[in-house]
Parts: sequence; C-alpha cells; structure tokens
Amino acid sequence: MNDFFQLIIGPLEEVFFKFKEFTPNVIATLTILILGFLLARLIRLIFLRILKALKFDSWSDRMGLTSLMRKSDLWTKPSETCATVIYGTFLIIFLMAGLSALKIEAIDNLVGQFFLYLPRAFSAILILIFGYIIAAFISRAVLIMAVNSGYYYAKLLAQAIKLLLTLLILAMALEQFQIAPGIVIAAFSITFGGIVLALAISFGVGGIDAARKMIEKEEEAKNKKKDIEHI
Amino acid sequence: MSDFYQSGIITTLHNLGKPSLERLETEIKEYSKIRPITLVLPALYSEFEGPAMPLIIEELAKVKFLEEIVLVLDKASAKEFQKARAMMALIPYPVKIIYNDGKRIGEIYNTVARNGLEVGQQGKGRSIWLAYGYVIAQNRSDVIILHDCDILSYNRILLARLCYPVVNPNLDFVFCKGYYSRVTDRMHGRVSRLLVTPLIRSIQALYGEHDFLKFLDSFRYPLAGEFCMITDMARVNRIPWDWGLEVGSLAEVYRNYSPRRICQVDIADTYEHKHQSLSADDPEKGLMKMTIDICKSIFRTLSAEGFVFTDGFFKALSVTYLRHAEDTIVKYEADAAINGLIFDRHEEAKAVEAFTNAISMAAKIFLENPLGTPLIPNWSRVTSAIPTILEMLKTAVDEDDK
Repeated sequence: MNDFFQLIIGPLEEVFFKFKEFTPNVIATLTILILGFLLARLIRLIFLRILKALKFDSWSDRMGLTSLMRKSDLWTKPSETCATVIYGTFLIIFLMAGLSALKIEAIDNLVGQFFLYLPRAFSAILILIFGYIIAAFISRAVLIMAVNSGYYYAKLLAQAIKLLLTLLILAMALEQFQIAPGIVIAAFSITFGGIVLALAISFGVGGIDAARKMIEKEEEAKNKKKDIEHI
Repeated sequence: MSDFYQSGIITTLHNLGKPSLERLETEIKEYSKIRPITLVLPALYSEFEGPAMPLIIEELAKVKFLEEIVLVLDKASAKEFQKARAMMALIPYPVKIIYNDGKRIGEIYNTVARNGLEVGQQGKGRSIWLAYGYVIAQNRSDVIILHDCDILSYNRILLARLCYPVVNPNLDFVFCKGYYSRVTDRMHGRVSRLLVTPLIRSIQALYGEHDFLKFLDSFRYPLAGEFCMITDMARVNRIPWDWGLEVGSLAEVYRNYSPRRICQVDIADTYEHKHQSLSADDPEKGLMKMTIDICKSIFRTLSAEGFVFTDGFFKALSVTYLRHAEDTIVKYEADAAINGLIFDRHEEAKAVEAFTNAISMAAKIFLENPLGTPLIPNWSRVTSAIPTILEMLKTAVDEDDK
C-alpha cells in the first residue's frame, strides 16, 4: 500500500521540488522584466530630452534623415523615433536578460547569440545612418559642382552617384547584419564591377579622341615649359 | 462691354467685342504644351456641400488645357476628405488633393516651424503656400492659376481669360490678376470700393505720389482672389496668412517684378460669391477683421518702402480717408441710380464709419509692433533651411492620396 502511495506521491514531490527550484527563477525573470520595462521607459525619456536639447529634429531635417523616414511612411518626429528605437532595444535586452534568469539551456543559447549579434546590428545601423548622410552630401556637392560647370545632366549625374553610394552602403550594412553575406558580396561585386566596366568601356570607346587630345595637350604644355627653360 | 481705357502703371486687358471661348481654349492648349498649367484651388469642405463647388467641378471637367489641379482641402474630417476625392474624381485629368488637416501635412507644418520658420495660422494664405510648394515639388508646370471655390457664377471662360496673358509666350506677362464687377441687384465689394481705393488715395493725398501706391491703385479690383502667375514667382514670393493676403501678395509682386510685366484682365461680366457680414462691433470677426488686416498689410508694405508713419499722420489719415470715402459713396450712389440698382446709402455710410475705426485700430497695432509681419517665408527660403522639405511634402501628399 505504501509502495502505491509512494508511486503517486513520488512524481508529485518531484514536480513540487522542481517547481520550488524553478519559482525563484520565474520571480527573478518577472522582476527583471518589470524593472527593465520601467528602466527602458526612463532611458527613453532621458534620451528624448537629450535629443531635444541637441536639436536633433532640426539637424535630422537638414541632413535628410527626416526625408528618409517620410519615404518609409514614418511620420513621427525623428527624436521620438530614435527614442522609441532605443526603448525597444533596451526592452529586448531586458527581455533577454529576464529569460536568461530562467536558466533554461535553449534560451541561454538564444540569449548568448542575441548579445553576440548586438554589436553587428549596432554597427550596421550606424553604417546606414552615416552612409546616407555622406551619400546625400556627396550627391549634393556633385550637383552644385556640375550645375556651376554648366553640365546639362547635372541632376542625373547627382542621382546616379547617390544611387551607387546607396548600393554600396546597403551592401556594407547587409554584410554587417550577416544576411546572406556571400550572396550580398557576390551581387554587389557583379553589379558594381559591371557598372565600372561599362563606364570604362564606354569611355574607352567613346573617349579615344578626347583622351588623345588630353594627352597631346599635356605633352604640348611640357614641351612649352622646356622651351622656356632653354631660353 | 467695358471701355478700353488703360489706367495706372500696369496693363489692363478688357472684355471687348465677343471673345470666343473656343479660340481662347485652342490657343491656350497649344501654348500649354510648352508652358504646362496647374490650377490651385484653396477649398473648405463646406464649399463641397454648397452650390458653388459642384458647378466648378462640372465646368472644370470640360477644360482641356490643364496639366493638373491641386486642391488644398481645409476643415475636413477623414471621411469628408474621401467624399471630396470622390467628387473631384469626375474631372478627367490629374487631380491632387492636399489634406490640410491630415497627420502627414500636419507634420510638414511642424517640420517647417521647428526650423524657426513661421507657417502662420490655418487659412487661405497657408493653404496656397502649401499648394505652391507641391507644384514646385512636382516640377511639372510653368504656370499657376488660382481662384476661390465659392464662386456661384463660375464659368470656364474665367479660367481661360485669367491664364491667357501669362501662358501666351508672346505677351511676356508674369502675373495677371482678375477683375470683375460684383453686381447683382446692388453693388457689392464694399471693402474694395469703400476702403482700399479711398485709403490709397488718401495716403497719396497726404504723402504724395509713390510707385507702390500707383501700382496698387492701378488694380480695378485689388482684393480679387483670382490670379495667374509663372511658377518661378511661387518660389520667391512670401505669402501673408491673414486677410491681408491679396494686398500683401500684390506687394510681393511689386517687390520682385516690373509693373510692365503685370496685367489685370476682365474675367467675368458678373461675379457672385459668399458675402461677409460687417461685424462693426467685433474687430475679430467678419469685414472688420478683414479690414484691419488689409490696413496693417498696406501700412507695413509702405513702411518697408521707406514711409515714416507717425501718430499725427494716422490722425490726419482718418480724417482724409473719411472725406474721400464719403465722396466715393456719392459717386456710387449716382452710378447705382443710372443703372437702376438698389443703393442703401445709410448702410454704406455705416460701413465707412466702421472702416474708419478699423484704420485707427490697424494704425495702433502697427505703431505698437511695426515688424509683426504675418508673412510665410517663400519656398526658396524654406528649402535653404530644410533642403528636402519639398520631397517630404510630395511624399505626404502622394501618401494621403493613395
């Protein structure tokens, strides 16, 4: 009879002990989640204040970041969007930390992978942001230079340069994100290489005379210099 | 049929003989191939529910020379915006509706404001400023026509006559303002008849001749809301956001272009739209608000031209204006009598009294703050502060229109 009771109580006891062992982990997870949520909100608030004090919205408007957001149909203030992204990031970090407190091996592996991926994601986002600003700046500089030189296709040239730079930045960011890096590098090399090759061929074929003239002009200038030296 | 007298320093294009609408439209259609035309319509949703807008849509549907219509819809809910879209869909060429009360356009205003540029209050001035921005962003038109959406006697000949002088490359006009007589069984247009013209002439009497005063006095109906201009003008002209819109816009035209390239055209035999109440006791409402804003606009523009206004000048101006306005009433009484029109002399005199008060109020406000100019910066200025603002505006309008 005792054995029979032992058969029933044994598993129940085991479940109870496991639950007793697991409960502090669950409480720790919940505590981390609640504190994390509050902390993330606080960080968001502080971040928002800092961005406002730095006049980030205005800077973003001038640098073209706001325009990029609008093209993606995001119509909140850039500072609010950034603060929300930071808030979301911290929320995910605290969620991961909370989950790791459960001490479950599968989750631990996932959390480990996530934290290893964070620096990559961060650098990819930085590449995207600064890359876009630099591309916009170079494109604008080319536009102004080409317009001032009276080049008819100034706008087209500026747009083409912006497109090429955007392609380069996207490839760099995707490579950082480790999203199909082999395919990205191959596709980028083929596309970029193809464009450069096409330009080289078209210049080579179409610009033979121009190149000859340039070289002849340079030679003439050199010869003139020599003459003056003799005198 | 009107006379053919050329008055003032701008060109006046009269309605002589029987100009054929067909000929005008055919010519404009040809010219519009090299100078595409956009029509800008500042509208309130309430105008879609009244008799004016359905008539305007019906007439616009027959027009063949417009590249696009850009309608700025104000005071409308999301549902009303959709209704307005459905009504405008009857027009068989591209129509863009800018939803002024929408989230996206609101963010455009916020973007401009947070970069230290004044966008002013909601109203016709701000709406047309936004529409100009969209037309510039589209880069599809060389000519912009603008008219109100409360015209009860709308006919598409108005549109043709208004744009012909600017769209015709042989005429070399950059700005054309419409004029018409606002007569039913009586004369309307009190602010123009009894305030603007007598006020300008009073200032001339006190201060002497001045090119800007001559320029303003040249317009037969300076407060007409219908005009046509080259798109480049939309880049350089600032726009007042208050009731001084029409006078302020003329001041900007005067500032940026030679009067030789400005004209006015007779666009309608008669013109009927909604009438404003006088509200003589409330300077924040009706014609009184309008009058104060117009006077402020004139004083500020003249001040910018080098006029020195003192308290003594304004006292003398009130008296001189009253005399000029009273003389004007007598002239209009005679005009009404010969044409068999109803003429309420008492009402006209009451309006002049109210306008005299408005001039004093405007003078006081001006002396307190001569720099308080309610002008929205031109688009060149805005794009210098926010280079991508036009792209953002285009995205906002296109997304709202999806």
